[in-house]
Amino acid sequence: MAQTGHLTQSPPRAAAPWVTPVTRLRIIILLTVLIAWEAVAASGILLRDVVPSTLTIGRSLMEVLFRPDLKVSLAGAAFSMPAFYWHLYVTILEVAIALLIGGTSGLAVGLALGANPFLAKAFERYLYYLGPTPKIVFFPVMIMWFGVGPESKIAMGTVSAFFPVVLSAAAGMRQIEGVLIRVGRSFRLNTWQMVTKIYLPAMREPIVNGIRLGMGVAMIGTLLAETKLSNKGVGFMIIDAYNTFDMPRMYAVLLMLFVIAIGANSLVGRASRR
Amino acid sequence: MPAVDPILVVENIVKRFETQDGVLVAVDDVSFNVMPGEFLSVIGPSGCGKSTLFNVMGGLLGGYEGRISVGGETVRGPHASIGMIFQEESTFPWRTVIDNVAFPLEIAGMAKVERTEKARHFIDLVGLNGFERRYPSELSGGMRQRVSMARTLASEPKILLMDEPFAALDEQTRLLLGDKVLQIQQDLKQTTLLITHNLTEAVQLSDRILVMTYRPGKTKRIVEIALPRPRNSEIVSSDDFGRYVAQIWSDLREEASKGLKDDEARRVRSGGAGAS
Repeated sequence: MAQTGHLTQSPPRAAAPWVTPVTRLRIIILLTVLIAWEAVAASGILLRDVVPSTLTIGRSLMEVLFRPDLKVSLAGAAFSMPAFYWHLYVTILEVAIALLIGGTSGLAVGLALGANPFLAKAFERYLYYLGPTPKIVFFPVMIMWFGVGPESKIAMGTVSAFFPVVLSAAAGMRQIEGVLIRVGRSFRLNTWQMVTKIYLPAMREPIVNGIRLGMGVAMIGTLLAETKLSNKGVGFMIIDAYNTFDMPRMYAVLLMLFVIAIGANSLVGRASRR
Repeated sequence: MPAVDPILVVENIVKRFETQDGVLVAVDDVSFNVMPGEFLSVIGPSGCGKSTLFNVMGGLLGGYEGRISVGGETVRGPHASIGMIFQEESTFPWRTVIDNVAFPLEIAGMAKVERTEKARHFIDLVGLNGFERRYPSELSGGMRQRVSMARTLASEPKILLMDEPFAALDEQTRLLLGDKVLQIQQDLKQTTLLITHNLTEAVQLSDRILVMTYRPGKTKRIVEIALPRPRNSEIVSSDDFGRYVAQIWSDLREEASKGLKDDEARRVRSGGAGAS
């Protein structure tokens, strides 16, 4: 019996080769895409400017990241910085606030729906149907309510983030083992203790998953809104490059966006593990 | 010997359930007393209302007739003097062993240092020292059930109420855990009420055994187990042990076969309904 503890520990793995077959495959795919892109760019099948060479995109990326093309005056001191960081800051702030509002309200409503079968029966149908609806259709409404500034983008992100969080919280609550709740009751926990000591920790996984999905759609909602009507944010930067037909710049910003999205996702994923 | 008042009094408990086929009387007029320090088992075939009785006594199930009192005080809802151990896996998978065991102390508002020390004591008691920092997923089923036991014991209940806590374990682990229970019983003078369907387990551990009938669950007989204490699992080889098992089985056999027939009949009915 004493051995059981040891058995479940992961066995010491043999030193993995630096390049595993999976890594090799990933590198090959990446190289293939790059080569294919370069081939299309060089062939001239499409307009040269529509598919610029990777080198041009790379140069543009350097400009986006390092050329100080935005004059800022902060606390009396005037200096210049790449505009990208300013737009990125706006977008990140929008997404973060959207996730905060959408996530907490989604969690609260999800807990209420999970705890109360009557409420769930009454309202969950709406949520299931509204959940997959493209939220961008609400954008005109949001502009009218909140204006063309970041507020309407936050509203779009909030509406997007709310649904996955509320649905996974409600489902997660119903999946909790009944015996854990009976243990809580037998130890005479009050409602607050039940929520914080039993429900929330038991629902950790579905909640984190909901937040992860919520963050994804909040990014989509915010960026999409920025490309439609705005004057700041990464979405605006992309559509601005498109409107001025600066394709290398557009691709460069898109590339940065991918990197940031992947980073954010893996950060939340890491937070879900102990 | 001075007259001692029973610590737990169960009087005329009746619990009915509304089902599709009408009213089911799960527990029908069951009464018994438990003396301080006594180990009483309630044994009966599956479906005799044992678990209903467990939930009623634990205060998790209301809407019954009769009265349950602990030290003269009527039980309404979960009672601080009654500690429950459940049949199902009930450790908190997100807490380490020591945090699981310290749970009731944390709820009671005990300071961290103090509760850790106390939890350690109960982990010792169930023989899990060395596993304090492990998570339940790293332990075997028998070890996890001992964590549950330590957690409930840490709340220092006057009465320990267990619902088939070893049902999911194999026979050998069960006998050895029985030894652990006997030893804890002895060390803590713990009043214990065990719900079980396992004959050897009941005889091995109990001072008295209440045999329940199959539907409706009534008291069929209460048997005194006059085996010497301290005991351990070696007692299963003694002649007296065998006699008690045989005696209780003769009471139980009739009830268990009723339950079996009833179950088969129900399956035939539902199968027939499905075919027509």
